[in-house]
Amino acid sequence: MIKISNLEKIYRTEDVETVALNKLSFEVKDGEFVAVMGPSGCGKSTLLNILGLLDDPDSGSFLFNGIEVAGFNERKRADLRKRNIGFVFQSFNLIDELTVFENVELPLIYTGVKAAERKKIVEDVLDKMVIMHRRNHYPQQLSGGQQQRVAVARAVVNNPKLILADEPTGNLDSSNGNEVMQLLTDLNEQGTTIVMVTHSEHDARYSHRIIRMLDGQTVMQDLMV
Amino acid sequence: MLFNNLKIAWRTLVKNKFFSVLNILGLAIGMACFLLIALYVTDELSYDRFHKKADRIYRINSDILFGGNSMSLAVTSDMMGSTIKKDYPEVEEFTRVYNSNGSRLVKKGNDFLQELGVAYADSTFFDIFSYEPVAGDLHTALNEPNTVVISESAAMKYFSSLDVVGKNLETDDNNGTIYKVTAVIRDMPKRSHFRFDFIFSMDNLNYGFGDFLSHNFATFLLLKPGSSAASLEKKFPEYVNRYIFPMLQQTMQVKTIADLEKSGSKLEYSLMPLTDIHLHSARVAELGINSDIRYVYIFLAVAVFILLIACINFMNLSTARSANRAREVGIRKVLGTTYHTLIRQFLTESTLISFLSLLIAIVIAALVLPLFNDIAGKEISLANFFQPLFLVSMLALPFVIGLLAGTYPAFFLSSFKPITVLKGKLSGGAKKSNLRSTLVVLQFSMAIILIVGTIVVYRQLAYIQQKKLGFSKEQVMVINNTQVMGDGTRAFKNELLRLPGVKAVSSGGYLPVAGSSRNDNTFSKEAVMDMKNGFNMQVWGVDENYIPLLGMEIKQGRNFSKEFVSDSMAIIINETTADMLGYDDPVGKKIYKSQSNSQAEMLAYTIIGVVKNFHFESLKQKIGPLCMRLRNADWSIAVKMDATNVQNLVKQVEQKYAAHAAGFPFGYSFLDASFNNMYKAESKAGKLAFSFAVLAILIACLGLFGLAAYMAEQRNKEIGVRKVLGASVNQIMVLLSMDFLKLVAISACLAFPLSWIVMNKWLEDFAFRINIGWWVFLVAGLLAALIALVTVGFQALKAALNNPVKSIRTE
Repeated sequence: MIKISNLEKIYRTEDVETVALNKLSFEVKDGEFVAVMGPSGCGKSTLLNILGLLDDPDSGSFLFNGIEVAGFNERKRADLRKRNIGFVFQSFNLIDELTVFENVELPLIYTGVKAAERKKIVEDVLDKMVIMHRRNHYPQQLSGGQQQRVAVARAVVNNPKLILADEPTGNLDSSNGNEVMQLLTDLNEQGTTIVMVTHSEHDARYSHRIIRMLDGQTVMQDLMV
Repeated sequence: MLFNNLKIAWRTLVKNKFFSVLNILGLAIGMACFLLIALYVTDELSYDRFHKKADRIYRINSDILFGGNSMSLAVTSDMMGSTIKKDYPEVEEFTRVYNSNGSRLVKKGNDFLQELGVAYADSTFFDIFSYEPVAGDLHTALNEPNTVVISESAAMKYFSSLDVVGKNLETDDNNGTIYKVTAVIRDMPKRSHFRFDFIFSMDNLNYGFGDFLSHNFATFLLLKPGSSAASLEKKFPEYVNRYIFPMLQQTMQVKTIADLEKSGSKLEYSLMPLTDIHLHSARVAELGINSDIRYVYIFLAVAVFILLIACINFMNLSTARSANRAREVGIRKVLGTTYHTLIRQFLTESTLISFLSLLIAIVIAALVLPLFNDIAGKEISLANFFQPLFLVSMLALPFVIGLLAGTYPAFFLSSFKPITVLKGKLSGGAKKSNLRSTLVVLQFSMAIILIVGTIVVYRQLAYIQQKKLGFSKEQVMVINNTQVMGDGTRAFKNELLRLPGVKAVSSGGYLPVAGSSRNDNTFSKEAVMDMKNGFNMQVWGVDENYIPLLGMEIKQGRNFSKEFVSDSMAIIINETTADMLGYDDPVGKKIYKSQSNSQAEMLAYTIIGVVKNFHFESLKQKIGPLCMRLRNADWSIAVKMDATNVQNLVKQVEQKYAAHAAGFPFGYSFLDASFNNMYKAESKAGKLAFSFAVLAILIACLGLFGLAAYMAEQRNKEIGVRKVLGASVNQIMVLLSMDFLKLVAISACLAFPLSWIVMNKWLEDFAFRINIGWWVFLVAGLLAALIALVTVGFQALKAALNNPVKSIRTE
């Protein structure tokens, strides 16, 4: 699914050059659940942005499903992204002005699914996430756990091959956190590849493999049993 | 406290440079417009107020309805002033002014110069009106015949000195009359409905005095202090009965007043306050070109519109940015500030902004003043800014604006609950606000009304230009002052015809443009003149070349011809007259005119042709009855040209003129230019409406630009999320622009009916006018939408192109 090699990303300001990724290489297979761990500033977010096709590496290769995507322009990346990748954020990033239903529906609108079909798909997903009864509420009216469930629903509504999760439990208490992790595990078991960035060893244990990063490089890969 | 408030206000301004510049610039442009319009309006309202007795001076107006023709005159008979003074004790004094479109040739050295500002007046003129004497005694200046009072400029022009009392001036009237200068006055103020440089003694006017029926004199009455104009006006019918009716009985076979009224005829006199004349009087035979109170109202409304639009910008931007100020408000409240103190703080801020705006506005106004004067036809100077009253009002402006624009934001910001805002839960300012939307709608409605107004005014003016007038005004040169050639005109005309580039030459005394001579006479359908048969019409003297030269069309019958000796008693009528007479074929029929005031001798004229109707007055008026006779009207001569080098031809004509009229000034005009002059007020209004529409839109756009920038900033994260989810740049732009486009659509719905009503009202003034087509609204609406889109689109594009990685960062 993902194969990166010698990936490099450098941020430059006037007098400081920060190397965020330093010739990073690793591979994620179809159906895998990988956790990325490391201290703040080790390049996790940069990695996630590049994997999510939100940002472009400065050099190196990035094969997504066997296609070289490094150097893709904004439009091509967006097109690939909306069909193949779902995002789950620490701060949920729901749109306050839209209801639960409308938030989840959004990716389908952008991929051009017809209205009637959208309604069916969204209702299915909401059902699965046990959030159907809140479909007409606005994000502020929900608890944190419920908001993250909506965010997950939105991430999977397009049936993406890959889900990128950025500290999905960071803003949640432990019981809500476990609930969300269970959701991700279920999705993984149904065949979705997941890459999750986390600080939590507890959450990381849900994954098959942990990639530990330091200063833009992988330092260790633990295989979970 | 005030100092602290000012300090905070200043720092806030400096910190938010972008919004401060938008705010100050918008308000400054708005205030500059307001200042200019205020100067214009105070100028318009101040006419004739410099006369010390202005509140007691009235002009007699006459309204005459006769033979289906109605006339509103600014003049009355030569007898009326003295008669009214004799009969009614409330009149202290009267004076008559005779100018009759007058121009006089005045001799300087060996040459005659044409002077336009000339009038004859009674000796009481200077007792009623207040002018500043430079030399001589105004009180007695016009007591004798052959006396003249001249202005400072005239004195300098003719004598290069102001010390000229006792010197002589020669004019062309009655084949040369010598006048003695008895006084010199300072030039008449510009804010005066009449302005003369030469005031001749009334005794020298060659006129059939003692005639109650001919109306040719502007007559001013000075009432005694405390007497009422309204009650004097009520006594005017008495005057009609006593003096005018007996005359009508003699000439018109009228037996009783009731008969007269039954026939639909009417003779009414009224009094108009001197200070009303400039803005409220548009009668026949005014002493100068007056203005119109409606334009004053329109411009006042526009000024208020523009200022409101600028204030709305301020309100919108301040409340939109409230979230940024919320923390500050919260902390201040926690530290113990009261609600009222906060309001005072925010009002200080808005007043400071208006003050800075005013400074810039004054600079802008001063810079564009020459341009404004040019468009508005005014001569307002910078000094007008510093008249005490204007200065005070101007300095009060920032406080009014600060209060107007600042009150709502002040209350809005001061009402935040400290705990809520400090916990960071507030983003209320960024949310859609109904009030803010309403204000934007208001702005755009006003802008759209101004756009529609501008389009309609321009279309009507274009219509006037293109309308088939019934005559051709292109390439017609009119040469004035040809009467001085005496019998030489015939030779002069022949010489002109021989010039290459001259196609035709005819007499040009009566021309279908304002300012040319007119001659109204009473005719009768039958040989006996009575109320039923009598009617009034214009009688124009022409020659046989006149109709073809002006491209007029003979509908029935024939043009005048040299070959018919009988044509001296022939007459050509226009279609209106033909319709009035009601004959199937009017050619060959006769109409009658009394030779003098007695009906005993009636002259019979034979109709030989009917000329197609042509517009001989402004398109504001219907085409009235008119006829032409073969008579000398060679005081002006019309030349039809077919020349590429017009300047060269004019030079040649001038040489010919000089040969026949040595020492006399060569004056000429072009018919199309004179025609356009009739619509000066309208084209002025069009230009002003256009300028102000552009400014109103500009200011509204400044606000919209700021608002869009802020909205985009507030929705930054949402846009990021949407982009992560796969939204394209186009989709984001549509999302952001749609909100504003909806507001423009609502504005259009409000503005269309309103502008339709207002502009139809304006068009009613024209007897011949355009219909306001639906496309005018379509264009105005699309234009507003397009402008809004461009303004918002720039911000939307910026937001849409932002890298979502930055906006969805959580840390």
